[in-house]
Amino acid sequence: MIKLLKIEFKKILTYKIFWILVGLYFIFLAAGILMAEFMINNMVDNMNSHLPIPLPHVTIYFFPWIWQNIAFFATIRYVLIFPAIVIIILITNEFTFKTIRQNVINGMSKAEFLTSKLLLILLISIIMTIFLTLAILILGFSNTADLSLEMVLEKSSFVIGFFITILSFQILALFFGFLLRNTGLAIALFTLYVFIVEPILYYFLKSPIVFKNGISTYLPVNSVLRVTEYPAIQVLKQVMGINLQDSVGLLTSVIPLIYSAVMIGIVYWVLMKRDL
Amino acid sequence: METILSINNISKRYGKIQAVTGLSLEVQSGQVFGILGPNGSGKTTTLSIILELIKANTGSFKWFGEEPSKESRKRIGSVIESPNFFPYLSPVINLKIVADIKDLGYDDIDRVLELTGLYGRRNSRFKTFSFGMKQRLAIASALLGHPDVLILDEPTNGLDPQGIAQIRELILSIATEGTTIILASHLLDEVQKICSHVAVLDRGKKLFDGKVSEVLAISDSFELSSRDIEALKKIAAQHPAYQSQVPDNGNILVYFKDVVKAEELNQFFYQNGIILSHLSERKRTLEQHFLELLDDNK
Repeated sequence: MIKLLKIEFKKILTYKIFWILVGLYFIFLAAGILMAEFMINNMVDNMNSHLPIPLPHVTIYFFPWIWQNIAFFATIRYVLIFPAIVIIILITNEFTFKTIRQNVINGMSKAEFLTSKLLLILLISIIMTIFLTLAILILGFSNTADLSLEMVLEKSSFVIGFFITILSFQILALFFGFLLRNTGLAIALFTLYVFIVEPILYYFLKSPIVFKNGISTYLPVNSVLRVTEYPAIQVLKQVMGINLQDSVGLLTSVIPLIYSAVMIGIVYWVLMKRDL
Repeated sequence: METILSINNISKRYGKIQAVTGLSLEVQSGQVFGILGPNGSGKTTTLSIILELIKANTGSFKWFGEEPSKESRKRIGSVIESPNFFPYLSPVINLKIVADIKDLGYDDIDRVLELTGLYGRRNSRFKTFSFGMKQRLAIASALLGHPDVLILDEPTNGLDPQGIAQIRELILSIATEGTTIILASHLLDEVQKICSHVAVLDRGKKLFDGKVSEVLAISDSFELSSRDIEALKKIAAQHPAYQSQVPDNGNILVYFKDVVKAEELNQFFYQNGIILSHLSERKRTLEQHFLELLDDNK
């Protein structure tokens, strides 16, 4: 395990594109987190121009709601796509440069090769989760007036939700990378699927005439994004009377993990069967 | 003598193309074993099978008398087709990755870089290398950690004459240290200069294998001419060791099955009433023999 991670580190340590994309991801993530409140209030202002009784401005950086608020904004498609593309590039590069062949020739098994990529994904997910937790703690402590330990930790389950989301989204990217093998094709089809194909499928499957039980929420990307849902901003909850997510549910967390296990299984099977 | 590699009746088909047909081979410890064949004869497919990059449809092979595994591959240094490295990493980091996979330390890296003349460029990115340098890095990577077996697929491909000479010298010096070498090449000259044993492949089939020196011992041909060329042709065909003849610039070129001496031949024609105006021995090269083997297979 340590040996495989050591090898992965060497592969990325001086790879500029990797660090540029990781840097962009952090910038987008930080910007997303810091701009979220401003954007929501901008929306509220717009709504207020049509409403007789104006809505108050919201704040999102206070305990305990900050956990959910930030976990949600950190896992929207536009932000998640960055680590996913990084994973696709790292995997398809191995096929483009035929380094997977060379690794196998030199004495790495195909299973070890897959394991090394999964370890990298796991490590990236852990690092991102730590980063997010730190950001939440810093923002939360500096924006919450009355603090109690209970309040700080109440909604911290959303950190686990964030971890599951980012992990399973990268595994979806790994799936595209290993099956398509070509960088451009894999990025194009992955992006197309995430932003266009699945939203269209979602729309059609949502129709109650076809499926009464909302099968659309079990689509791969949707099930991943549903782990940390739209935050229950109290104001919106009161005004619109909609019922929003309160905590990370067990079932919604397990579904993306099942998808991940199935996709890893398929990748393993294909890798074993295909010639290099 | 230890058997390093034994290949037993392997076949591989890509759709309609039969790349390898019932190939069996044995490579013994210390041999420099050449796999010779034109492009598309199944050399690289065979090497890819024994390195477990592709699966054979039928047949089996053993490394060091054991079932192949990743552990046996760690004892083999290989250069297959193109040099495969990360273009954005330096040779040193690329070689460290190889060393990690093979469970080796990093202390051999400087030696192989010096041996292949790349030490001065050890920290440049791989993509800044010329093709010849890339090929030399592939060889350096194969030499890392003194492997028991070296597999080289067209190792001098794309190198300049000086580079070719250096690499051949390097291969020969490694061979004298006792390392077993398996070398695939379409260059007869290369096999002739480097190898102790050779297997000739054509369209996936083994046509011939044995010691290179035995292949070279096969009889020679003679250029002959006389005033009466038609009579010469007839008499030549009556020689007990006669094999075939072809016209050659006003002369005829006669092939013999066995070793024939010039004075013996001269006497034979004289006794049969032919006065030769030209008699010259032509050593048959491996190349001619190879082309003949290929012709026989058609």
